[in-house]
Amino acid sequence: MTTFSRRDLLQKSAFGFGSLAFSAIANESNVIPHLRARAKRVIFLCMSGGPAQLDTFDYKPQTGKKPHPGSVYEFSQHGKSGLSISELMPETAKHADKICLLNGMHADTGIHAQSFLQLHTGDRLRERPSLGSWINYGLGSENQNLPGFISLNTSKPSVYSSSFLPSIHNGTPIGVNGENMNEASINNIQSGHLPLSVKRRQLDFAQFMNHNHLSARPHDAKLESVIESMELGFKMQMTAPELLDLSTESKATLEHYRVGQQGGPVGTCKSSDFGRQCLLARRFAEAGVRFIEVNHGSWDQHKNHRRDLEANCAATDAPIGALLEDLDQRGLLEDTLVVWGGEFGRPGLTPGNGKNETGHNAKGFSFWLAGGGVKGGHVHGATDGTGARAVDGKVHFRDLHATILHLMGLPANDLKFQHAGREHRLTGPEGGKVAHEIFA
Amino acid sequence: MIQVFLLMSLRPYIALCFALHLAHGLTAISLAANEVTPAQRDFFEKKIRPALVEHCFKCHASDSEKIGGKLLLDSPEALLKGGESGPPLIAGNPKESLLIASLSHQEDLAMPPKKPLPEPVIADFIQWVEMGAPDPREPGTLLSEDYAGRDYEDGALWALEPVESPMLPPTDTSDWPHSDIDRFTFSAMESKGLRPTLDAPPEMLLRRLFFDLTGLPPAPSDLDLFLASYLLDPDKAVISLVDELLASPHFGEQWGRHWLDVARYAESNGNDGLSRNPTFPHAWRYRDYVIDAFNEDMPYDRFLTEQLAGDLLPHASPEARDRQLVATGFLALGAKPAKAMNDNFAMDVVADQIEVIGNGLLGISIACARCHDHKSDPISAKDYYAMAGFLTSSNTMWGLAGNEGLTAPPTDLHVLESAPKSFPPINFVETVVLLQSNTGKPKPIPAPPWPKGTPLAMGVKEGKKIGDCRMNIKGESKKLGAPVPRGFPESISGPSAISIPGDKSGREELAQWITHPDNPLTSRVMVNRIWQHLFGHGIVRTPNDFGVYGERPSHPELLDYLANSFVENDWSMKQLIREIVLSRTYQLSSTPRSSVEAAHSENQSMTFRKRRRLAAEPLRDSILKVSGQLDTRPGEGSLIRHRDILVNLGGDLHEPSNHRSIYLCYLRGAMPSEIAAFDLPGFLKSEGKRTISTIPGQALFLYNHDLVIEQSRILAKLLLSGDQEGDEERIGQLYERTLLRAPDAEELYRAREFVTLSSDDLHSKEAAWAALTQALFMTNEFRYIE
Repeated sequence: MTTFSRRDLLQKSAFGFGSLAFSAIANESNVIPHLRARAKRVIFLCMSGGPAQLDTFDYKPQTGKKPHPGSVYEFSQHGKSGLSISELMPETAKHADKICLLNGMHADTGIHAQSFLQLHTGDRLRERPSLGSWINYGLGSENQNLPGFISLNTSKPSVYSSSFLPSIHNGTPIGVNGENMNEASINNIQSGHLPLSVKRRQLDFAQFMNHNHLSARPHDAKLESVIESMELGFKMQMTAPELLDLSTESKATLEHYRVGQQGGPVGTCKSSDFGRQCLLARRFAEAGVRFIEVNHGSWDQHKNHRRDLEANCAATDAPIGALLEDLDQRGLLEDTLVVWGGEFGRPGLTPGNGKNETGHNAKGFSFWLAGGGVKGGHVHGATDGTGARAVDGKVHFRDLHATILHLMGLPANDLKFQHAGREHRLTGPEGGKVAHEIFA
Repeated sequence: MIQVFLLMSLRPYIALCFALHLAHGLTAISLAANEVTPAQRDFFEKKIRPALVEHCFKCHASDSEKIGGKLLLDSPEALLKGGESGPPLIAGNPKESLLIASLSHQEDLAMPPKKPLPEPVIADFIQWVEMGAPDPREPGTLLSEDYAGRDYEDGALWALEPVESPMLPPTDTSDWPHSDIDRFTFSAMESKGLRPTLDAPPEMLLRRLFFDLTGLPPAPSDLDLFLASYLLDPDKAVISLVDELLASPHFGEQWGRHWLDVARYAESNGNDGLSRNPTFPHAWRYRDYVIDAFNEDMPYDRFLTEQLAGDLLPHASPEARDRQLVATGFLALGAKPAKAMNDNFAMDVVADQIEVIGNGLLGISIACARCHDHKSDPISAKDYYAMAGFLTSSNTMWGLAGNEGLTAPPTDLHVLESAPKSFPPINFVETVVLLQSNTGKPKPIPAPPWPKGTPLAMGVKEGKKIGDCRMNIKGESKKLGAPVPRGFPESISGPSAISIPGDKSGREELAQWITHPDNPLTSRVMVNRIWQHLFGHGIVRTPNDFGVYGERPSHPELLDYLANSFVENDWSMKQLIREIVLSRTYQLSSTPRSSVEAAHSENQSMTFRKRRRLAAEPLRDSILKVSGQLDTRPGEGSLIRHRDILVNLGGDLHEPSNHRSIYLCYLRGAMPSEIAAFDLPGFLKSEGKRTISTIPGQALFLYNHDLVIEQSRILAKLLLSGDQEGDEERIGQLYERTLLRAPDAEELYRAREFVTLSSDDLHSKEAAWAALTQALFMTNEFRYIE
């Protein structure tokens, strides 16, 4: 048993608080080897509800005489690569050459909650650390003034939980799906009752008490970590409101992202102010947040497939296009991995049969990645002729997780944590296969 | 490793009976007593046996390299018993037989996996099952039924073994132990060459007892009184303080809160997976029931029996009837996924109930055997469906589910007799309404089926259809296997002679089995919970998991001693708590003797007391108590008692309150912001031990939440109202109230400096004092119990 206190370690460390704190030392038995990192951060565009891949990114035209399930919207080829993208995604399509389509995704279950949890944590039943928590655990924080994992317009805590990983890697939620995302912020981030100078004096007084308290209790590492988190919280008060305040952005940028322009909900498509979320994501990315999740839903357009799908695409397409362009122009895209997808997909409609209703399909669906060391204008994997199941280049969630970790420089199946008597990893007992084929 | 055992060479007839016995008497099979006729033998040998050998034995024979789904098909008894998915055939009934379904490649169970057998072969199997599946083969092998065959580490199944009566360790080496508990802990320390630290000074002990027994800090006057009597006779002072606190109504609020975590209590369903979250307007009655039960020291066996089967117990009065009905809310409070598009909805409800019974009451996960035999613990899918039968034979009543049938169909509720009628305020109009998806217009709120003001409660009652539950293959309700007779997990030692009446759900018998003194888990699990709440960690540090993946007890003998003592004292929780807090082990100081002891294996030896952070509720309650604002009366009802709505549509439903936190409105996914920052569980499943996280969101709460700001201001005002006093006295008072001690010289100096500088900056004395007060609320000293 080591007798170093965290403070000793921090003082001895050349990296100081930010990079070392709470990662490896929190679980000393784990030494995490690092690979060459292609990406430094992730922006996960999480499309909850099961987006219809056949009407967005997986083109299935009719073949033969008898109508079969397939795409019911027009597709055309975009960019130099000629990627087929649906007419519902015109702005995203402008960035076809940055996009790497994964058309052979598959998952275990068509039950929303379970598959959504599995997408985030690798486990569909139990609360386990989320992808963003694993990445922060593996790499440490890039910014001392902000949490390393932010989840915008989020759903339940289990999808951004650090679970048994050190709690500093817990996702910080900003707004809950269904709330007014125009105003959503970090809870208790500000108050006007004291000027900052007095707040600082106040915290100094509390920390003076805390340090005296600690020096009489020299063996308690937990008291030290409270002291540290008080400082991070204080810094967040100064950094986060500024980041959340979009008034410094130009009118053109706000317009480009369509901030605040989404109208009310249409069918299953909720008002998520996706533009504000995407712009915030870029700002957090710039500020050094490692994992940023933005959410839009619900793509679960059962009864009114066309209307709701069109609404969902309309709400998200332009902001995504703006985000990709903005990241690219700022030189951020090369080390920012953008991930788009939901918990599963949907079967296709059959043209001409008058039906407008779709269910769930976990056996074959689409994700796409962009930036962060993946090939642009590339298609990996495929479903069969009707899009019913993945048949080629199959990528399960655990493979997706493995691939993302690998891009971040973390060895997917060796990033482990000892908990409750055994080793846990994001990719589960089966392990994940890294999709090396998609690396640029 | 899989072990098999050979049946002795018996006639097929007898062997089949034995097999039936092993398979828990599968009543659907009627073949056993029949001898196989020559024609049947001929049919089997020509049509069935060759097909089995050719197509099935690669994976389903005792000499197969890897046995698929634990299913053997190479002997009559193995065929009847079946594997993980239950018996493969129901003699005489090919339609209900899994074997036929999977040979015909219906859905996932398709066998052989690659290509279905030719139609004529399948037809042969159908015909064979129709004739009663006559099997002329000699008896062969069965996969071992019990779990002796699994490779368990020594002692891994310790919790399933009977509670022992350990000898008290001798005391001749030291006079340190004061109680039997101390003898166990001391002997464990001695064996590791460790010594206990000093006894806690009275100030530390007082604060610890107040928080542990009531969840509230002592007032300075409590300290004065205690110190006065402590000087005269320390033991007597402590005993009378403990008895006083145990008798306080706040005891039930503190310990009831612990139980509500176990019971995954909440006042709304939580996200149904489609972002709908209906309220439970009557759940608060269960909360009050739990608080009362702890305050009245209801014996734990009775407490559990009422929660599992209160509706079936006799009652002496309308009040007792109501109480027992409310208790069954335990089984109805769960979080459910949406009913829409969910064929498994009914069994999802059961899964939640089995989870809370398994992990909450028995400390073992049964719920994960829903789809397959438990991967680590000796719980089979059959055990699961044996338990499920109690619940599928009962009706679970959650109420109207926000009048949204897509999330859950509306159910009946218990109508109470003695509880006062409860009317919404005059002029009350529900503002949260559903919109029609096609028109966007508000849907009218349907009139509830009960007369206005009827007092109602969630809970369970006997179902219309009583019977055993059929296996759900891979957890899918559409793929049914054979029924499993209602019963209890085979691998848990304990009472065996409890039979389930055919015309009842069997919940009463379930309660009998769980609360039977011979059940090895129930008492151990609860004494461990109580220990954990008093020490910060249990003797078993995984309170909801006493299984193979759970941790082993640090003091197995002490655990069993306490379990026995608990049962012998008529399952009295107060008695047990009293015994523990009067032990010297409990009353140790939080300062270890040395860094060696501090580092020793996370203080497994309990040589000193672990420092604990205040949980969400006691932190808020402490702030309110210190500022003088705490309303110590029980909170009445709930904010949402007249609102059957979807929480997600309602925005922030919470309103400020000065009652204790337990009376706040615990909506899943929308907890009150006054406590939400501090590791509240999701209440989606039984919670044995809250996480203790350290995240900046907690600091932000202390800096910026209205509760902290407002209470600091109120206390500052109070300090300033006695205008005779100087700053020094005020600082003294502030420290007394918040930290129960006087400031030292440096603190005094810096506090004065703080107030002076801040008064200038803020142009307000009151604001400066409020800022200082708030600083004290931020300190670890305020937020930790020594």
